[in-house]
Amino acid sequence: MLKHLYDTDCVTWSPQGKLFQVEYAMEAVKQGSICLGLKSNENVVLCSLKRQPSELAGYQEKQFKIDDHMAIAIAGLTADARVLCKYMRTECLEYKYTYESHHPVGRLVFKVAEKSQHKTQSGAKRPYGVGLLVAGIDPNGVHLFETCPSGNYYEYKCQAIGSRSQAARTYFESWFHLFEKSTLEQLILHGLSALKKAIMEDEELNERNVEVGILGKNQKFVHLNAQELKDYIAKLETFNANTQIQQE
Amino acid sequence: MIFNSEISGEQQHTTSPVVTGGSVIALVYNGGVIVGTDTLCSYGSMAAFKNVKKIAQISKNTIYASSGEFSDFQQVVKELAKIDRSALQYDDGVHPSPKDYGNFLARLSYKKRCKINPLYLQNVIAGFHNGERYLSLVDIYGTYLESNFITTGFASYFCKAIISNYWNENCTLDQAKQVIRECFKVLFCRDCRAHDVIQLAYVDAQGAHIEEPERVETKWDFNGFKSRANEKLHTQ
Repeated sequence: MLKHLYDTDCVTWSPQGKLFQVEYAMEAVKQGSICLGLKSNENVVLCSLKRQPSELAGYQEKQFKIDDHMAIAIAGLTADARVLCKYMRTECLEYKYTYESHHPVGRLVFKVAEKSQHKTQSGAKRPYGVGLLVAGIDPNGVHLFETCPSGNYYEYKCQAIGSRSQAARTYFESWFHLFEKSTLEQLILHGLSALKKAIMEDEELNERNVEVGILGKNQKFVHLNAQELKDYIAKLETFNANTQIQQE
Repeated sequence: MIFNSEISGEQQHTTSPVVTGGSVIALVYNGGVIVGTDTLCSYGSMAAFKNVKKIAQISKNTIYASSGEFSDFQQVVKELAKIDRSALQYDDGVHPSPKDYGNFLARLSYKKRCKINPLYLQNVIAGFHNGERYLSLVDIYGTYLESNFITTGFASYFCKAIISNYWNENCTLDQAKQVIRECFKVLFCRDCRAHDVIQLAYVDAQGAHIEEPERVETKWDFNGFKSRANEKLHTQ
């Protein structure tokens, strides 16, 4: 394929109607470690697998609070994610300053998407190399969005992005019909079960490399602490996805 | 909100109002919020415009009235309507609540006060959202106060006694209307810039209802007016 003829910059189309630079940016998202999100009628849960550059280093955080009612999980270039995170936090603060209420979630995702699209239509810019899972609660209900370097955004009941995310998505396809009515605990266990499907054989989930964030109609965004993570990961052993209850 | 005068550099500072509206009285009642104004715009001491509708519907469940410079009132109505319209642009079904408008107006008023070019208004925003009544005052400086009853202008001096004696926050709509009518009667007698034709508007779970202007009943046929000792005066 003569890709290299059409992939130098964002302002060149390929004969098949593709913008290769944008597609390459989406590859960067797929290289990031997995993060997933799922929602019920009352709660949204974000689960991510944190990477450790070396034994000596700490683990890279993948979930960031945007406001009390909104949080993101990132996959891809962390530096680009920081830029978008700062933008979203600023927008939420300004909205709160002007209106004394929370920024509607879909609207902020739309703004991020507009910003991302802008980077795909210039000769001098490159797309953001990060995909976001945006979890949020607003008067319209409970939301989970995915944003793309292309500038597209989608709303989901549950979604996983990053490396080996297909395994998590397969798990979701089997069980997502239960999520709407799940309790918060069941949602967390489903999320961790999906995460478990996506790790390598020699890896294991523990409280250091897993990050879980929860958000609810009456629950501001908060990360589970190390002890809570340990407990939930232990409960995974006996969690039956079908009945959503612990089995002995 | 940037005015052309600010861009062109010819900015002037509003130091005194020209065409003014009178007092606004607003009360919550059981099931909604009611706002009353008179229908007069004064040009100084001249009662220049006597049939003015001074209560605006901003959105389905929010109404807005103010006393002070009437051209500023008209401008604020446009600005608040802009917000609701821009919500359509996002097409996500999220519309500003009455509180959002109140806070926006507070931030706008404060910004203009900081530039020593205020919106010369005492603003009242009333609404009903998610089963809750909303009533707030935003003054010329951008001070924001939520309350169960709001009075602006002379009403703050003459009407608070009437309101505290005859109104409570769970009264019926008709009781609240009567209290406001009584207040405007007193205002017509004592406030030189008041008028006896008033307009009432209320917001409840069904939305905003703005009524047609009505004349408050006033009594002038006292014997002392009709005849004095040794004098026959004109009858009414």
